Amino acid sequence: MHKYDGATDLLNSAIESIKHIFSCPAQVDAPYLFDQSLLQSDVGVLIGIVGDMEGRLVIEGESRIFAQLSQNMCGIALEGEMLHSFVGEMANMIAGNTSTLLSGRGKQIDITPPTVMVGELRLYGFKRGIRVTVHLEAVGPVNTILLLQG
Amino acid sequence: MYKILVVDDAAFMRLMLKTILSKNGYEIVGEAENGQDAVDKYKALSPDLVTMDITMPIMEGVEAVRQIKLIDPDAKIIMCSAMGQQSMVVQSLQAGARDFIVKPFQEERVLESIRKTIGA
Repeated sequence: MHKYDGATDLLNSAIESIKHIFSCPAQVDAPYLFDQSLLQSDVGVLIGIVGDMEGRLVIEGESRIFAQLSQNMCGIALEGEMLHSFVGEMANMIAGNTSTLLSGRGKQIDITPPTVMVGELRLYGFKRGIRVTVHLEAVGPVNTILLLQG
Repeated sequence: MYKILVVDDAAFMRLMLKTILSKNGYEIVGEAENGQDAVDKYKALSPDLVTMDITMPIMEGVEAVRQIKLIDPDAKIIMCSAMGQQSMVVQSLQAGARDFIVKPFQEERVLESIRKTIGA
């Protein structure tokens, strides 16, 4: 049976979740397609997705942007290990909220615990990727990336 | 003072919950960062209430609820997860959780759930 390819649905739901979780106006760039590898320059989180849709969701951006988001969400500009934990939990909330939205549309996904990646690194092991940059007003850009095997 | 065990794999989320609960008069008797750790600490600490994440390594939260309920059928457990779909809520309640809080949460929602569950 052919597996439902819901890349657009998944990304749109993730973007909707980001806007909901951070409760601030946002502008969304056009999707950018790429293959072979993904270069992360500062901080990112990877969450595996299985079920009706499969792939890996990466939320990536600059430390100062995530520190600003932690300030907005809990009143403290976090740093160091606690900032990395915040970034992982933030991505978990985005992916969890995404799964809830998709469930309301009849699609079931499950998510893995987040893997936080710090520093400049290059990710391999996928066939195609789609990146959408979400510009959160008064905060800055956050990249939402979907890595796909097919 | 009611004793609470906070279970979440994210140190940030444990810190958030500890801050909310401590300033409202609850004692944080322990923390666990996965389901297995939660079961072990429940046995050792006998808390009055547990806040339980779902997506965690080693053992996820719904399974941890099942195991804690085998140890103590009266255990009071509140799920605290970003996975808020109906099927997840139903699974949690069937496992024995008393309530379900969806992340991100407001402080008042957490306190309301705890008061309702403990009956205080």
